[in-house]
Amino acid sequence: MLQNAWLIPLFPLLSFIVLTAFRRHTGRLAAVIGLAATGASLLMALMVFAEQWQGNSFKAEITWLEIGDKIITMGYEVNPLNALMLVIVTLVSFLVHLYSKGYMEGDSRISVFYAYLGLFTFAMLGLVLSPNLLQVYIFWELVGLGSFLLIGYYYFKPEAKAAAKKAFIMTRIGDVGLFIGIILLFWQTGSFEYDEIFKAVANQEISQTMITLTALLVFVGAIGKSGQLPLHTWLPDAMEGPTPVSALIHAATMVAAGVYLVASAFPLFEASQTALTTVAAVGGATAIFAASIGLMQKDIKRVLAYSTVSQLGYMMLALGSAGYTAGIFHLTTHAFFKALLFLAAGSVIHAVHTQNIEEMGGLWKKLRLTGPLFLIGALAISGFPLLSGFFSKDEILAAVYADGRYGLFVLALIAAFMTSFYMFRLFFMVFSGQPRSKQDGVHESGWTMTLPMIVLGVLAVVAGYVNTPWFGTFLNDYLAQGPVELAHEHHGPLWIPIAATTVSLLGILLAYLMYAKKSLSRDWLSRSFPSVSDIIYNKWFVDEAYEATFIKGTKAASCGGTLIDRYIVEGAAEGTVSAVQLLAKSGNKVQDGKVQTYGTVVILGLAVIFAVVALTGGYFS
Amino acid sequence: MSSVPLSMYLMLALILFCIGLFGALTKKNAVIVLISIELMLNAVNINLVAFSKYSLHPGLSGQIFTLFTIAVAAAEAAVGLAILIALYRNRPTVSVDEMDTMKH
Amino acid sequence: MSSMLLTLLIFSPLLSVLILLFVPSDDEKTLKMTGVLGALLPLIAAVTAFTAFDTAESGVQLEEVYQWITYEVFQANGELNYSIQYHIGADGLSMILILLTAFIAFLASIASFSIKEKLKSFYILFFILELGMLGVFSAQNLFLFFVFFELTLVPMFFLIGRYGYLNREKAAWSFLIYNGIGSAILLIAFVALFMKSGSMAFDQLKAVFALPEADLKEMYLTENFRMGILIAILAAFAVKLPVVPLHTWMLRVHAEAHPAIVMIHSGILLKIGAYGMIRFGLGIFPEEFKSLAGVIAVLGVVNLLYGAFLALSQSDMKKVLAYSSVSHMGIVLIGLAALNEYGIQGAVFQTVSHGLISALLFFLVGVLYNRRGSSQLHDFGGLASQMPVAAGLLLAGGLASLGLPGMSGFISEFMAFLGLFEVMPVTAAVGTIGLILTAVYVLRAVLGVTFGRVKREGTVYGADMTAAERFPAFMLLAAIIIIGCYPALLSGLLGATLESIKLGLGG
Repeated sequence: MLQNAWLIPLFPLLSFIVLTAFRRHTGRLAAVIGLAATGASLLMALMVFAEQWQGNSFKAEITWLEIGDKIITMGYEVNPLNALMLVIVTLVSFLVHLYSKGYMEGDSRISVFYAYLGLFTFAMLGLVLSPNLLQVYIFWELVGLGSFLLIGYYYFKPEAKAAAKKAFIMTRIGDVGLFIGIILLFWQTGSFEYDEIFKAVANQEISQTMITLTALLVFVGAIGKSGQLPLHTWLPDAMEGPTPVSALIHAATMVAAGVYLVASAFPLFEASQTALTTVAAVGGATAIFAASIGLMQKDIKRVLAYSTVSQLGYMMLALGSAGYTAGIFHLTTHAFFKALLFLAAGSVIHAVHTQNIEEMGGLWKKLRLTGPLFLIGALAISGFPLLSGFFSKDEILAAVYADGRYGLFVLALIAAFMTSFYMFRLFFMVFSGQPRSKQDGVHESGWTMTLPMIVLGVLAVVAGYVNTPWFGTFLNDYLAQGPVELAHEHHGPLWIPIAATTVSLLGILLAYLMYAKKSLSRDWLSRSFPSVSDIIYNKWFVDEAYEATFIKGTKAASCGGTLIDRYIVEGAAEGTVSAVQLLAKSGNKVQDGKVQTYGTVVILGLAVIFAVVALTGGYFS
Repeated sequence: MSSVPLSMYLMLALILFCIGLFGALTKKNAVIVLISIELMLNAVNINLVAFSKYSLHPGLSGQIFTLFTIAVAAAEAAVGLAILIALYRNRPTVSVDEMDTMKH
Repeated sequence: MSSMLLTLLIFSPLLSVLILLFVPSDDEKTLKMTGVLGALLPLIAAVTAFTAFDTAESGVQLEEVYQWITYEVFQANGELNYSIQYHIGADGLSMILILLTAFIAFLASIASFSIKEKLKSFYILFFILELGMLGVFSAQNLFLFFVFFELTLVPMFFLIGRYGYLNREKAAWSFLIYNGIGSAILLIAFVALFMKSGSMAFDQLKAVFALPEADLKEMYLTENFRMGILIAILAAFAVKLPVVPLHTWMLRVHAEAHPAIVMIHSGILLKIGAYGMIRFGLGIFPEEFKSLAGVIAVLGVVNLLYGAFLALSQSDMKKVLAYSSVSHMGIVLIGLAALNEYGIQGAVFQTVSHGLISALLFFLVGVLYNRRGSSQLHDFGGLASQMPVAAGLLLAGGLASLGLPGMSGFISEFMAFLGLFEVMPVTAAVGTIGLILTAVYVLRAVLGVTFGRVKREGTVYGADMTAAERFPAFMLLAAIIIIGCYPALLSGLLGATLESIKLGLGG
């Protein structure tokens, strides 16, 4: 089975090709084709995972390019980490495919949509299977392409166009970092292969500075893709895409790619304390920064988007604190509950046709299935005890604490508090109370949409039990078979889960008091600290700052360049032309057509030649 | 043998040539320009004759060459005058200044 | 016959010229058919030559040598025999470019269908141009190279000046003057080389300049002389490539000439610049080239960034593409400056890939121009709703241009930078800014055209692309993707050539 793992990404690719080529003729069949392809991938991924679980790894490569004596290969590899990722990606992708059948009903470009989904899934699966960094980079960019196409799916909307462009360019900035990192690693180790690079790092063939530099450059790539500070701004804007796409981007593909990259290059990071600290610090800062923005957003999808940014910060924080398992664990659980939340949000939007939570309310009774499922997701992400998020978050906090990063630990706790607060603010505003605007014909979605949510809901509850301090650390034992040396399992002091739970319950309580009970005024913050709320509401003015500096700067440079081109470069050319013309004109004047003038000039010329010859004694002497 | 040295002949030819040149380059009347050209040719003839007499191996070749030159000069003068008359028929002028169609 | 293969290939366009002379100039259908079939002929010949070409073997193959011009010069120290031969052949590099030329010329002949007037003389000039281009890449001595080089210039001048947009004549003059100066410099350099070394054949020149320093001194081939000739040659080809600040003529040509001509121009003629730099610069003067590498790298980065920055604020699609060509040619310079296999291979890949990509993009802009009567960005928008195929192709072309993996642009960019990072990491790091800027300007232009809403009511663009328009576009896209997915196709051809260049560089 393992040697056939390369087929897994090919099914979605096939779906992409078929759907693109026959886009006019597929129509309703598009969903079926897409589902069949991802379904096949899912089955194979499960089989591969089952086989991998028994401890088999596999790697195969073919020559892709020969340069001089260097051979660059392409291939695929199955190891514990990517077998797990394969399952997550194919599962979420399959569910999203199914969900989209209902959500995108009636869209005239449905086959294009499914084609893009196929491409996106293919790219992510290819990325996961890559055994070398060059191949990672190739699929990395393709993942970016997939998300770009899907975000810009509603191409006629100016916001979608801007968001797609922004997503591509912001991640491209990160990609260039990765690009340089890969090239530097190649010159240091002579290979793109993970194995070779890790070997060289382990044998200390690379200087410490180089390790730090390359690790940081690779991390820059992850920052771009995973929406970490300071390249996070594209991720919330990416909400312009259809909601199922958001689920896919936020749960399984795109943003997970960044975390996955750091995880799969973990031995490189481990070799440099500076790199780890940077990863942890960026992760921690992103976690609390994005959580703070999430507190005040009005768009249901944007709140979820900022929560994704924040949760990704958590994962980075875990990886930076040497909590390899914790990071992967959270990536897994997050994939389930975040996909659930997005699909549930999509279901809500599908029902009420708005994304503004100020206009919702009282939907609990109307959406009998979506409501409870959303609640499960919200509880899971808040770290409510015994749900999946609780275990993975606890693990992260324990890892951070064990690593001795107490400042970041406190940050993470605050972020956890904020998370549970804004998630339940969202929940109460959408589902409790009375409708705040006219809602006609609100009804529960069809089975294609609810079934994926139910599956995810179950997973969001139980996924945590794969790695708990009480029932066994299956995930940790499983990942320990991989290339990363797992030092030990952090079972932090017992007070950490208690503290985390308290904090998250406090957040839920506060949200309850403010938005459901309404015993606390909703706008005390904006009244007592108008400037603070203003800053938070405007997302810390990051977009505006970029606009004022980088974008304006680039535009200015571009205009300046145009001026240089027009006046200096062209001017020099024009100057040369007019100088030649001037010369020609003065020559023209001598030609007055009178033989006598010509004769005079000839005689004078002869005289000059004679004089020169007489004075110098001749040129040829 | 004559006591006039070679340099005197050459000097005479030089003066004659310069007068001819000056006339050819400055005179406005085309007829005078033609006459000046004749002067220059004659200066050359003097040189030929003088060198023919005073060279290391005196001979007649220089003087015979002079006769050729005179013949050619005569033909040339005839052609020149013919062109001049043809020109005069088209444009009633013999002023060299107005003959500047070469410019165009 | 196989020994004459290359000659047949080069002069095969002449046959079409001959046939065209007998076709009445108002019989549009026959003219078009002759044009396409005539362009197919060199393509078939090129593919045949390719099959006869042994990729494993190094050096020049399919050689043909005939005595052409011989003369003797008597000098104090004896009699010197100068001879110029008709010497053609192809190594891997030439072979790739010959294939590219035949391929793009074939597609351009289809793209020429939109020309309505003076079609007969168009195709005649077109085939003479193709002859020149094929000759340039297969010539094996300086004289022949120069003859073919000039042969491309004249038909191109008329093609730009007669078939194009409003200011085409000015563009044609700029083209002629800049390139005329370039070839004058080239001629001086070639003559100087010939007089001093007594040979015009590439292989002999290579051998001469590989001699030890003392021998070279004896032949009056001092270091200054060699450096001077190299700089002259580089300058001449810098006009062609073009290198900032010698690029303005190219902008005009790209903006004013007919799309089919721009396909040829951007796809192949610019590549003569790169080819010349590799063949004469690196090939004959490896040592001197080495000492100039720093300058060339900086020039490359300047080209890359300058073009990218300027492409960002252009309002005309054709200008955006023209500046992007400037930018992409910077990558060729970057690759050459690296002076290792990675870089040079990257440079060659870039010439091929940019040839394909820019041909595709200019072709699409031409298609749009025919429908909309404009190429200004602000006249466009929402193309995806009315011409989904064109919009998709444009997006694909744009993505190829910004170096998306899986397409040829990525391979070349990657290898060029890989090469340069080994020797000049800092310069290379500055250059990578260009990668971001490329994404910015490509997306700005492409999304501005395809996304958004249609600017005016009703059907602005008309029907989607016709079959005759789809064919060249899909062929080009297929070539781009094939090279991008499996670059070993090209690198296999190049291996032996690179080996010989590497030998010249002394390891």
